[in-house]
Amino acid sequence: MLVFCSSCGSGKSEEVTTEETSQERPSLVTQVRQCARLYTTEYRIHKIITHDDVLRLKGSLLSQNINIPLPLGDRKVAIPMDATLKAYIDFSNFSEADIERDDNHITILLPDPKVVMTSSKINQKEVREYVGLTRSHFTDRELTAYEQQGRQAILNSIPQLGILDQAQANAARVLVPMLTEMGYQEENITIAFRKNLDISRLIDIKLGR
Amino acid sequence: MKKKLIIILALTLAVLLAIMWLVHTISHTELTVDADQQIDVTPEQITSIKAIGEWEFLSIANEELVDTVRKGLLSDDHLVRVYYGTLRLGVNMHQVEPGWIKTEGDSVTVTLPNITLLDRDFIDEARTKSFFENGRWKPKDREALYKKAYRQMLERCLTPENKQRARENGEAQFRRMMKALGYNHVAIRWQETNNRNE
Repeated sequence: MLVFCSSCGSGKSEEVTTEETSQERPSLVTQVRQCARLYTTEYRIHKIITHDDVLRLKGSLLSQNINIPLPLGDRKVAIPMDATLKAYIDFSNFSEADIERDDNHITILLPDPKVVMTSSKINQKEVREYVGLTRSHFTDRELTAYEQQGRQAILNSIPQLGILDQAQANAARVLVPMLTEMGYQEENITIAFRKNLDISRLIDIKLGR
Repeated sequence: MKKKLIIILALTLAVLLAIMWLVHTISHTELTVDADQQIDVTPEQITSIKAIGEWEFLSIANEELVDTVRKGLLSDDHLVRVYYGTLRLGVNMHQVEPGWIKTEGDSVTVTLPNITLLDRDFIDEARTKSFFENGRWKPKDREALYKKAYRQMLERCLTPENKQRARENGEAQFRRMMKALGYNHVAIRWQETNNRNE
């Protein structure tokens, strides 16, 4: 009888009558910021985060290093995720100094584009876990830690994606029609950017972290 | 007699050395059972590239503490997580109408689309922090928490006040940009259309 009671009380409440409830809690922080950003390019990235969690006996015994996988101690998890990266031009410091006019010709010097991860989504339906007999299931803390590592891996891959080149080209696609509406001829419009971009400075880790 | 003494001394010395070796070996033995916590190296796959034109005038970064409780006979299970999201308000330049900029001398009139939530996907779920857990929870429970956090963020952040602030900042930014382009008289107007994002 005691065993029965303790198993009911150890959180296996799916076997007994369950009741889903939730409580409203206040949000922790809300930060409102005025800005002037022109987002020009959107990349959607898919990644499957995998983790092979083999339990190992490690250390030294009789001056010998040992590293032995334990039987039935394997755990694996695969977490599919999708992320959205967007590149933007920050116009908050844009001024007359960034514009050059020469007769009918206009040149606009834009600041370097920057990249931010605007959203990420874990495909919870497709998450797969395989847990060995001697192991406990993955905890929520472990899963979120793997997801954060996967997110960071996507941010680290940004330099290889070519998103900044796309962002520059797409900025012209937004601004040139705007300037032609103002009466400039397309051939008289130049959209210029700074050169020798250091991409590591251009990933917006403040908001993207 | 002398021979016996030498043998006893030698044996004692051997036993002492054996004990010292055993103590040294045991003291230098370290055994731990652990598992690597790093994820495997897997590729990132680009599923789409899109040219967009979204002016952001107000961003609202939000952290939402969300929980769920499952009642049991003797104890309750809890799962509490912190979700992070940023709602971005602004105008989508793909929604401007022909002739949205009209110039006459040093005057310009700009007609902007209505302020909208620029992206319906605003939660950065991979940043989520696990705050507390007891009991075993399944992916569908986490999905339900995500949806709850989503609703709460929308309700908290997508307010008429914030839309008005985005609108005022949008007017200020476009006015400043047009003045930089050489127009002394700038008028900003807004399209009066029903927007799906509102």
